Amino acid sequence: MPSLREVQRRFVAATVFGDSGALAELGIVAGALDPTARIAIYRDNALGNYRKALAATYPVVQRLVGIAFFNAAIDAFVRAHPSPRGDVNRYGSELARFLAAYPPARELPYLPHVARLEWAIDQANIAADAPPFDPAALRAVPEDVLGELRFVLHPSAQFVVSAYPIFHIWQVNQPGHAGDDRVDLGEGGDALLVRRASDGVVIERLAAGEHAFLAAFAGNRALRDATERAFGIEPSFDLADVLRRHVSAGTVVAFLAPSDVSSWTPR
Amino acid sequence: MPPATPLPPVAGIGLRSPHVAQVRRDRPPIGWLEVHSENYFVDGGPALAALEAIRADYPISLHGVGLSLGSADALDAGHLAQLKRLAARVEPALISEHLCWGRIDGRHLNDLLPLPFTDEALALCCDRIDAVQAALGRVLLVENVSAYLRFASDAMAEWEFVAAVARRTGCKLLFDVNNVYVNAMNHGFDPRVYLAAIPGEAVAEIHLAGFDASGPCLIDTHGTRVAPPVWALYRATIERFGAKPTLIEWDTDLPGLDVLQDEAAIAQSILEEADAVAA
Repeated sequence: MPSLREVQRRFVAATVFGDSGALAELGIVAGALDPTARIAIYRDNALGNYRKALAATYPVVQRLVGIAFFNAAIDAFVRAHPSPRGDVNRYGSELARFLAAYPPARELPYLPHVARLEWAIDQANIAADAPPFDPAALRAVPEDVLGELRFVLHPSAQFVVSAYPIFHIWQVNQPGHAGDDRVDLGEGGDALLVRRASDGVVIERLAAGEHAFLAAFAGNRALRDATERAFGIEPSFDLADVLRRHVSAGTVVAFLAPSDVSSWTPR
Repeated sequence: MPPATPLPPVAGIGLRSPHVAQVRRDRPPIGWLEVHSENYFVDGGPALAALEAIRADYPISLHGVGLSLGSADALDAGHLAQLKRLAARVEPALISEHLCWGRIDGRHLNDLLPLPFTDEALALCCDRIDAVQAALGRVLLVENVSAYLRFASDAMAEWEFVAAVARRTGCKLLFDVNNVYVNAMNHGFDPRVYLAAIPGEAVAEIHLAGFDASGPCLIDTHGTRVAPPVWALYRATIERFGAKPTLIEWDTDLPGLDVLQDEAAIAQSILEEADAVAA
């Protein structure tokens, strides 16, 4: 009699990979329906669940390629990148990387970039909550140590950078979009901030200096360093305006004073 | 271990995300609510906030779909830790999982897959249930699943396997009447034989749902109303076990909440008939 592990291996081979030898060795009781048809029910269920789950995470990718192309791509993705967890909601982080190397998608070089944006949106929805920024605490910091402060971004904040106009592509593929849905791929790339605000996930385009500034905090750098990076990229960078906007919008939720730095652990 | 069932023996509804805002706003009269645990394996955000708001007004049951109790792979400690964290947050009336497998060699199929009813599978499931009950510090409910195949290597009937799991581990049973009916039709047995083999004192919850009969085999889609023969089997179940908390589950082609409330009202009337007979 085969061990439980052998049975389960054969089951995966028969369903996900369509291995008829494994199917024959499973020892399925035929009854009114032959074993091939019984295994097909499980194959269709499992692949159907992944198609549905990933279509919910990647609706714009699905819209860009059409349902038939999307389903074939997801089936291939499932074979190449097994779901490691019993929580299907966390599955699919590698779809962008998969699509970048997926030969049928070669003519859509922006597709993996759109996938990265959709994954960031999905993750922003379930990231941890954070208490709002406390301006009084900032006012109490002596001026001479301000440059050493490390600002902390909201746990949902992520950056998505692309050489393609992915935000525009994303916008014209939203269900409510009306009007011109053409996008000129030559119109330039995007540096996007994706984060969760009190009323849902927001996506915003960042100027080059602003992106360098915020990304420096995500990389555990201090205000002085972040500011230098921003000015290096964008000489007209307006530090006061950018910091005020992102504090009041909730992108920045806290800061760590120099004495806290030793206890600071990167997220 | 604390008792497994502070849920009232009344009808409840499986809460799905399209209905969350309505339930939160209107607080409709529903005995209790059940959610899929994995949907709340998150660090924060609106879904978790909504559940935390709703749990103030309704008893909550956490129903897992991904722990893979019957997998030859080791128990996923990360998954169990997430469940434990969620339980601490939600303080559910009960926690349930499925008597099935989903993962092998690190690959999860995220589906409720059928076990061969062998001594090896029985021993493994019992070990896992013991480990989960120890980790959670409470009694677990396990649910019988629907199946579209069975294995020639079976050493016992499904009902013997299910009853043995409850007897050996002290876990409780989430008795899914629809799954019993689907399996009876798909594998040609009398569902009343199954019912007769289940130890009533172990049953702590009942599930009802609809199946799809358009193909050569009944499929447990949770996508329609409860079928008349399943209602009949449910009456027989309540006659045998007494009134138990009963859930209406609906997952595909989800209708308005009112349709689920209609179904729950039918279950509730059957529960009340049983109470009247008992009194």
